[in-house]
Amino acid sequence: MRWIRKRFSPAHCQLKLSAYSKLWTTACLILMANALASPSHSQQPSLPAPIAAFSFSESTINQASGTVTSSANSFALQLAPIGAAKPVSEPAVLLLRGDGFLSTKQPAEKLSRAIRSTGAVTVSLWCEPGKVDQSGPARIVTLSLSPTERNFTIGQDGNRFDVRFRTTKTSANGLPSLSTPSGTATRSRTHLVFTRASDGKTRIYLNGQLAAKGNANGTLANWNNKAKLALGNEVTGGRPWQGKLLNVSIYDQPISQPQVAMLFQQGHNPKPISPQELRLAKLEQHFRQSVAPVVAKNCLQCHDPATAEGDLILDQDSENFRELIDVDALAENPFWLSILNDEMPKDRPPLQADEKQAIKRWLEDDAVWTEGQIDPADYQYNAQQPFFVRRLTTPEYIRSVRAAVGIDIAKAAKTQLPQDLRADGFQNTAYNLTVDLNHIETYNQLAKQIVAQMDVLAFVKPFGHRALLTDNEMRGLIQSMGTQILRGPLSDQEIDSLRGISTSVAAAGGDYEAACRATLQALLQSPRFLYRIENQDRRGAAAFLDDYEIANRLSYLVCGAPPDAPLLAAAKRGQLRDSDNIRRHVQRLLASPQAIEHSEDFLSQWLNLKHLDSLQPNEQRFPNWTPPLAAEMQTETLKFFRAVIWEEKRALTALLNTQYTFCTPRLAKHYGLSPQADGWQRYDLSKVAHRGGLLTHGSVLSIGGDEASMVTRGLFVLKELLRGTVNDPPPCVDTSPVAATANVSAREISEKRIQNQACGGCHQRFEPLAFGLEKFDGLGSFMQRDHHGNALREDGDILIPGTAKPLLFSTSAQLMDTLANHPRVHHTLVWKLCQFAKGRPLTSEDAPFVTQIAKQAAENGGTYQAVIEAMAVSPLILPGRRTP
Amino acid sequence: MKLHRRTMLRGAGSVLIGLPLLEEMQGKQAFAADAQAVPERAFNVFFGLGIPAPLQEEGFDGVLEPLKPLADKLLIMRGVDHVRCDESGINAHFDGASASFTATPPDGEAKAGGASIDQVIRKQFHPNGLPQGVVPTVVAGTFFRRSRVSRFVHSYNEDGTVAATMQEHPRNLFERVFGRIDVATDDASKRIDRSVLDSVIQQYKFYSGNRSPLGGASRTRIADHLDRVREYERRAYQQIEVDPRAPQLPDASSLAHGGAADPGGEGLDMHLDDLVREWRLMAELYAVAIELDRVRFGSVTFLAAGERLRMKGDYRYDNRLVYSFNDAQELGKSGSGGCSHEWWHRFQPQRDNQQLRAHAHMKMREVGYFLTLLDQIQDANGRSALENSCLTVSTESGDGRHNDVKRELSGVFHAMSSAKGRVRTGQQIAVNAEGIDVYNTVLESIGCEKKLGPQDRPFNRVEKILA
Repeated sequence: MRWIRKRFSPAHCQLKLSAYSKLWTTACLILMANALASPSHSQQPSLPAPIAAFSFSESTINQASGTVTSSANSFALQLAPIGAAKPVSEPAVLLLRGDGFLSTKQPAEKLSRAIRSTGAVTVSLWCEPGKVDQSGPARIVTLSLSPTERNFTIGQDGNRFDVRFRTTKTSANGLPSLSTPSGTATRSRTHLVFTRASDGKTRIYLNGQLAAKGNANGTLANWNNKAKLALGNEVTGGRPWQGKLLNVSIYDQPISQPQVAMLFQQGHNPKPISPQELRLAKLEQHFRQSVAPVVAKNCLQCHDPATAEGDLILDQDSENFRELIDVDALAENPFWLSILNDEMPKDRPPLQADEKQAIKRWLEDDAVWTEGQIDPADYQYNAQQPFFVRRLTTPEYIRSVRAAVGIDIAKAAKTQLPQDLRADGFQNTAYNLTVDLNHIETYNQLAKQIVAQMDVLAFVKPFGHRALLTDNEMRGLIQSMGTQILRGPLSDQEIDSLRGISTSVAAAGGDYEAACRATLQALLQSPRFLYRIENQDRRGAAAFLDDYEIANRLSYLVCGAPPDAPLLAAAKRGQLRDSDNIRRHVQRLLASPQAIEHSEDFLSQWLNLKHLDSLQPNEQRFPNWTPPLAAEMQTETLKFFRAVIWEEKRALTALLNTQYTFCTPRLAKHYGLSPQADGWQRYDLSKVAHRGGLLTHGSVLSIGGDEASMVTRGLFVLKELLRGTVNDPPPCVDTSPVAATANVSAREISEKRIQNQACGGCHQRFEPLAFGLEKFDGLGSFMQRDHHGNALREDGDILIPGTAKPLLFSTSAQLMDTLANHPRVHHTLVWKLCQFAKGRPLTSEDAPFVTQIAKQAAENGGTYQAVIEAMAVSPLILPGRRTP
Repeated sequence: MKLHRRTMLRGAGSVLIGLPLLEEMQGKQAFAADAQAVPERAFNVFFGLGIPAPLQEEGFDGVLEPLKPLADKLLIMRGVDHVRCDESGINAHFDGASASFTATPPDGEAKAGGASIDQVIRKQFHPNGLPQGVVPTVVAGTFFRRSRVSRFVHSYNEDGTVAATMQEHPRNLFERVFGRIDVATDDASKRIDRSVLDSVIQQYKFYSGNRSPLGGASRTRIADHLDRVREYERRAYQQIEVDPRAPQLPDASSLAHGGAADPGGEGLDMHLDDLVREWRLMAELYAVAIELDRVRFGSVTFLAAGERLRMKGDYRYDNRLVYSFNDAQELGKSGSGGCSHEWWHRFQPQRDNQQLRAHAHMKMREVGYFLTLLDQIQDANGRSALENSCLTVSTESGDGRHNDVKRELSGVFHAMSSAKGRVRTGQQIAVNAEGIDVYNTVLESIGCEKKLGPQDRPFNRVEKILA
């Protein structure tokens, strides 16, 4: 057995995807929206890859079952011949004689959803019409339910090609249709491309040339996911098309005329990918999904670049590793044997049987290594965990009420709603946003309080309905008012439900105003108000996003609030499929006060600033401590953040080394600065080298407790700034902080711990990260000696996760500069923002998207705004999109 | 069923609230129709910091002494091993606590690896919800360390999320179980309010129903919300007379709760009397809730995993002074270093471990207090509520020093009630089995189709614990 090294360049990845499309979709349909969304496949090809490709061969069509099922990591649809759909002797041609066709047995739901998610589609096909007098139109390719209800159909109507495409502005039958000019459908072999952009523009190209153009305005919100895919006839039969079909490809995006020309030039039989390339693609998948998590979890504590026990590094494809496994038989492979015999991981639980099997299979299949470097932080959370619908957090609720009805309910909501508890670093972690009876009662009470503060008649008037309790007027009002409050149009079922309120009001002798009042109360307790309801797949991931859902995602991403009027209008017009449009709206929203509020929510939760509310330092040790000082520390950090991020729009990493801060005289005195005027003042720290940046704020430094724990502070830097991972202490370790004593400083205690064989392996990863902070006491005061008189230091070195060589610093200022300039810190801050945006811990599935976002943001200055903008057009936030 | 109203009076405060007529509620018990039908109940009782394995060996002669009066009603198990949760790098306190009643490792900071025992039983017997008037799950406790949810919540849904919101004030527990909701008094307003609620319910039904566009976990979350809305509806509109003799709403707690209870892990000064007063009120409220069939499933927590208190006060048991607590002074430290938690760190089997023994003894007294309350509730089948419940007592692993030093989650203290005679009580045994098998043995004996942990895991029945 020869062990070979194989890496995949982005171009190679693209080739691999083509391979999936071509080889695994012979006579079957494979959708690869998920795979294609990955940034690892992000290099823009000269031609996009189809989400479904459909070609033909005699061997597959003649199978008894007539179906082919893919085992790829993508979803497959089975196409079954109905009637006598036979290939002809000419290779790769489906001959349709009017007596048979191909159709999916089940709805092509994922195909419909994939197209709905982008609002755009292109269908490319090669065909030879059997005659020019067939009509119906005769169905060549159709995604439909019946002769009168479809998502789209490409057909032939006499000597024209005809495309019916359903939107909210067309009939259920996709009418009016778009047709090519008379005489363009001939018996010649023809390349036909239909493309529809998200803005509604439609085009038909024949043999690389534009043949017809039109508009199918509206959105795809009314597409029916129950539609089946058929070739050569209507799904129910009765509209046969006669001719030869050579291939069909479907894309979830529009393509340009030059791209159409390229497709035409490629011909109907592009070069297939080799079996070897296909095999490599499968191996890559196995490594990414099954091997890398095992390595990250079990091996890297001892075999990362910094530790490299046995001179073996396993987070990357190292030479030593290749030498180790370069043997002819698995039974002689020392790497495998050490795992098989439970010798590795050393002194730790052995691998589970399925983990061993994954490693074994990987080694047997050439040990293909496709990740540049395995980052254990990517694998901290289970990538298969279900996703939970997001209940509005209290700040989101407050902003949503304000946006919906213009009432500020902040004071009541903050005091009456149960607190959202922190989990995995943030208070907006969806799985932990449970509901209690107290929530229900409070939502009910708040709804009444909100409506009581409203001038209800003035509020409903702009919706343009007469003040009558008639069915027409009330239903119309409920739809228009509900669209604003529930952040999107209401279904008939929802309108029915809400309409019942006004009839009850009328029956109780109430008037129009009372009906509106009660309806508003119900809307404010609706699941669509209190939760961010979206279409989800079974696991809870967004299945597809309609235009209003896109608007909501963008708005809550930027502002933690509902879409404003321009964004809702854009959603209504179907304009949110276009990246440029999205960027324009995001930039507009970033200028709003809500965007600043939302970013401060992030900051407050990320740094857990609320811990200052309950800080109770030892009174004898810190006699000057008062709760107002704690409040000022919180405010300092928020003011600093606002100045750096919003006023100066500096890079996120500048939060770590910007040489100014904001203080009151009391806080300035606490920091040893000369107090300036009363109130909050900006303090220039350019000549106070040791202080400057978040890590020198009392709000952050106080996390280490009275003793300014090196462990706690070091872990904070490791986890919150460097996205490092470290295990909790092993059994028998007393984790209580060890306080400095006379003649033994905290630094010396820490260094002893690091030198200790049992502790040092882990502690060397994070305690040195706090060495530069030793001169700051437990509450952030700066001093040269501790309260025992021990001299304090600020020099040290830091080890960036994934690297082997520590970076030296001699002062805390140098430490801050080192951190601020390191790409790992930028990446970590982006990761945190992405986690906050998603409302859940991120996993290895998210990691490529975050990397892409971090890269784009860095190219645009690394600012908060650049990160948000990059997120807004990323599949991380808008699934189904291709990475720009 | 005999109602122990006296238990409600201990914490009597000043604010009278509209408590439903207790006797009337008794008559409305879901199982009252059949005198012999006693509902399945399951409760997880958690206490913080645990009992070192060597001290467990001493049985009722040692720190378990307060459980002696209940000896016939309990199965006390040693050597229950949560090996599957004993992964390298876990935190014994909160990760270990997460395993206490789930036997699975956690899946996030506030998420267990799966359902807890009580929730498996709840789902088995009430897949479509509890009878009217019964709160689906009640999670309550007296605790102060709160950096992670798994330190203090001990009832988890199948998806690992917390089964109910923690009620950490006696007053909150009282309101959660017994509270009524004020609604409009005039008929017209009431009718309109009802129509609003009806509309809200319809909307939640849609999003939790078969046609919901949501995924499984999300749908479950919306269904939970719907359950709470329906509960709200019952409380707001059920016609229940107010008993003029009703117990009063407890005073607001004078102890620190919320963020103030856990100042950065630095610990809290606590007088034993204050702690016991609040805990017992909580325990009594919970017991009355069980007695009135308002609660059948949930968890009760007496001190959190890794609890840090600087305790003061004389601890007495059976008319003798067991110990005078003064942790900070004895340890000579402030902050976290002066907390009783330190006695666990200092445990050495060869020493007398006087302070640790006293603290652990006190915890057993308080756990025993709650269990005794349940034992005083007589059900229709002649057994007590303690005997009829699947009640599991467990704890965290602490810092590991109190157990097998090589495996900190091994040998965690466990006790169980008989679960209607299915579990062999009246003995102390070395089970020496995995916790997941112990729990699943009990669940199987109760008739649960689902198990804890991976459903395809080979099941090793632990016969010795069965009656």
